[in-house]
Amino acid sequence: MKVRAITTVKTVVAGIEEAGSGIKLFTLVDPDRWELPPFKPGAHIDLHLPNGLVRTYSLCNEPADNTRYVIAVKREADGRGGSRALHDDVRVGDVIGVSLPRGGLDPGAGIARYVFVAGGIGVTPFLSMARHLERTEQADFTLHLIIREEVPLAAHLGSLIEKGRIVMHRTSLTGRPDLAALVGEDGAGTLVACCGPEGMTDDFERVTAAWPAANVHIERFVAPPPVIDPDAKPFTLSLARTGTEIQVRAGQTMLAALQERGIDIATSCCGGICGACKVGWIEGKPVHRDRILSPYERERYLMVCVSGSDTERLVLDL
Amino acid sequence: MLDTISAGSAQNAAQLGWTGVVRFLHLTPRAFLPMRATESINLVAGRGIEGDRYMIGNEEGFYSHKPEEGRQVTLFELETLVALKRDAGIELGAEEHRRNVTVEGVPLNHLVGRKFWLGETLLEATRLSIPCRHIEEITGKAIFDPLINRSGLNCKILQGGIVKVGDTVRNAA
Repeated sequence: MKVRAITTVKTVVAGIEEAGSGIKLFTLVDPDRWELPPFKPGAHIDLHLPNGLVRTYSLCNEPADNTRYVIAVKREADGRGGSRALHDDVRVGDVIGVSLPRGGLDPGAGIARYVFVAGGIGVTPFLSMARHLERTEQADFTLHLIIREEVPLAAHLGSLIEKGRIVMHRTSLTGRPDLAALVGEDGAGTLVACCGPEGMTDDFERVTAAWPAANVHIERFVAPPPVIDPDAKPFTLSLARTGTEIQVRAGQTMLAALQERGIDIATSCCGGICGACKVGWIEGKPVHRDRILSPYERERYLMVCVSGSDTERLVLDL
Repeated sequence: MLDTISAGSAQNAAQLGWTGVVRFLHLTPRAFLPMRATESINLVAGRGIEGDRYMIGNEEGFYSHKPEEGRQVTLFELETLVALKRDAGIELGAEEHRRNVTVEGVPLNHLVGRKFWLGETLLEATRLSIPCRHIEEITGKAIFDPLINRSGLNCKILQGGIVKVGDTVRNAA
């Protein structure tokens, strides 16, 4: 039997907690309770769900709590299916693969004060940051929580509310708050951050347009499209032995495009020095970026992990 | 000429001499998880380190889908960590390079094909480790290029036993 490569962090669902307002908290741990890969406050992870969906959720625990990933998931009946799968199908003991954590804030980078603006369930990344800042006492912070009526994760926000760290804005009573007034004047040493529905993050982006980019942080529910090198161009891979044609998107690696189509390519370093993914090419003009092939070899071979194409079509000996 | 030199070097290895020391020991049970520091590890001959992800028969490592007999234990030079800081300004901890044994005073790149003692255990070096993008992904540090040609050593365990921090590393003449 061919062993498949491990591409995700293996976690087990250790707890599922009903947190009110259609929200469940899922606690993911290593099967042996080993430390999990580290993360920054407010980071997020991708969950590879049993039904094949991949969904991104903010971590709401803090980095020092390093043997768990805790995510809060609101069941969206009309969503794209990730929250329904988690709420309806996932049980304690289930195994879920997750990505390495990404994003979050670098605490302590000359920031003395944080102003967080959260819309509803958008409070989750700030829960992580608030817990971290409260424990380390390295900076002052205020969390503005904008909600229609019901407070999400009320049981987990209680102590922060009591300490006056959270300012509640109920739009059903007072209408939408003026975001410009909440963030105040731009000042060195202050970082403002927002997480919430698209309309709110757009407004926030507008009112902070004059702020230095390094002092503004926005978390969107739906990830923005990836930044692609403007010089990168899509091209077509043609596999000579099978006649298969594969589109390589701008900025995508040849290797990723081949793997997406289920074509098994041996890899190891993925940086163009080990030679594991060496493949013959027949027609076109490859852009080699490996460090090991001689000019003579480059006339016949390329490394699919790093090579690109200078022509719209590249024919491989596969 | 190289044949003569390498034959001569092999004979002289014991006299040329080096003696090193085990500075750090690390292992982890699964791909992606942080390496955990430990004071001692148990090397099982022909298989690997008890509890580590590349223990043959019980593998859960990032490269476990590519079986390799000579990857039972991996070593890394403390001197490389010092050089990374000195030459590239990169602070890399002994828990971050993801090899099991960090040694000082051991010329790892010279040992491919040789046998040597790691504490009470006898190892045979199979090949140089190569850097990989995976380690950059995990550490978030741009270390692929600076680690080319000094990314450590892969070894088979010929004679098992317990290895402890502070143990001596020496040539098996």
